Amino acid sequence: MLITLSAVFLFLNQSKAQSAFDSLKIKMAKHYFQTVIVMDGYRKPNQEIKDTSNISKRLKSYGVNQFIFSLNTPIATIDRFSKDSSIRKNTHILLTANYMRLQPVFDGIPTHNLVKLGIGGRMIINTGKKAVWFIDVSPFVTKDVTYPSAPYFRMASTIVYSHNVNDRFNWRIGITKSFLWGNRYYLPFIGLRFGRLDKTNISIQFPRSININLPVNRKLQFSIYTKPQGGMFNFSNHDSIYFFPDSKTFHFTRYEINTGFRADVRVNSWFNFYIATGFSTKNNITFYSERANPSKSASGYRVYFYDKDFAPTMFFNAGLVLKFGKTRSFYNDKNLYDAIDLNNTIGGGDNNISNGNTQILIPSKQKQQEYNLKSVQDLIDYNDF
Amino acid sequence: MKFKMKQLVNILLIAFFLGLSSFSKAQGDKVEALRVSFISKRLELTSAEAEKFWPVYNEYNDKIKAIRKNLRQSFRKIPENITEKEAEELYVLDIKSRQAETDLHKQYSEKIKGIIGVKKLIKLRNAEEDFKRQIINSIKEKNE
Repeated sequence: MLITLSAVFLFLNQSKAQSAFDSLKIKMAKHYFQTVIVMDGYRKPNQEIKDTSNISKRLKSYGVNQFIFSLNTPIATIDRFSKDSSIRKNTHILLTANYMRLQPVFDGIPTHNLVKLGIGGRMIINTGKKAVWFIDVSPFVTKDVTYPSAPYFRMASTIVYSHNVNDRFNWRIGITKSFLWGNRYYLPFIGLRFGRLDKTNISIQFPRSININLPVNRKLQFSIYTKPQGGMFNFSNHDSIYFFPDSKTFHFTRYEINTGFRADVRVNSWFNFYIATGFSTKNNITFYSERANPSKSASGYRVYFYDKDFAPTMFFNAGLVLKFGKTRSFYNDKNLYDAIDLNNTIGGGDNNISNGNTQILIPSKQKQQEYNLKSVQDLIDYNDF
Repeated sequence: MKFKMKQLVNILLIAFFLGLSSFSKAQGDKVEALRVSFISKRLELTSAEAEKFWPVYNEYNDKIKAIRKNLRQSFRKIPENITEKEAEELYVLDIKSRQAETDLHKQYSEKIKGIIGVKKLIKLRNAEEDFKRQIINSIKEKNE
């Protein structure tokens, strides 16, 4: 009886407060996610191809220039409380759009611009307790835009269950369909994180990345990381690399493992940039013919007509990150921090770039001179003076 | 290669100017980060408490800040020759805003009390007051 009365009292109190707030007709932020735009540039210098096969002699050397434009924007946020009002759950639906222009630079033939364009969606479900679900669908089309080639449709996708044991330890399990490793693979997704997301942490997210994140202060974060980079692209047979003269297009695949050092500079709540450098290892390129792989709709490609490994080399990477839109507050909310980390770790379009988790505030130490009246005007009342 | 260098220089220039133009906007974030750190340290919440407390507390703060911002902006727009009707509207807004703040305070205090208990709720109010006092003292010192 008492419990029922308390519940009724709480409900009446809530609806009164809510209607008083609603009567002011104040527009509040709808989402927890900002619209994020990442412009990422990557370069790997040319390496000579020394073997004497016909194709190697034609190509002469191999290097990579890559540019990625990535957009990630929230479309809908559904927020609700548990029956006893103590647990907040939310579901987020986001739209992702990605453009990649890859230039595999072979000195022996003219440069081809291989474009990958995709629009996808993702859903993140925060159960409010320990779990966050992540579902991503990233269809994309690849095409050689320099010379005639037919577009080729593909789809990457990921589903992950993420479990926050506490704010210092998280594990994830799931499955991902990805082309990052230079072929169509269905891989398990296994993740472990030790340490808080807003402090020093070690994050192992197979097959996406391994990161040691070291925030220096509120503005600067260093990371040591290793991650695969690659994909499958359409390549025009304009240069007659594939010996069947009537084949206009073949598949060019590449992968590499980048291990390096990255610095993220958080300029403010809507802009940051990063620079990274390190070693690119396990470099491989392959040319697959469509003709030899006609009925492989579900499994990986098996028949190739050129396969080449390269020695490790340096790489350079830099990016600009723009963030738009006001969001609801989520300070110290471990599930929302995790949701943001998932959204950033599994970049849209199967490109495996990260914006550096800069939506998550790094706690700062207090200095006396840091305040001005403008920055705290909604925090204090005139009666406080 | 020349083209690549030009692209790189353009990107660096954009980064520099964006950074420069947005320097003043960072203040609000900084204070929020400090406030959250301050309250976290003072409350000493258990993992289970923190899990439930922060989402509710963030929502409460968002609403209170929105009410204050709305009120402040409305009062800033007052023309020199304010009409009787405009003054009445502002008066009603002022009363409604303060009433809404009080109602929200009551509603969320009940929720938070259910999550962290009454002792820590009092600690929270105390921490909020101490943080405000620090801010006010800091601004006063700066202006002296």
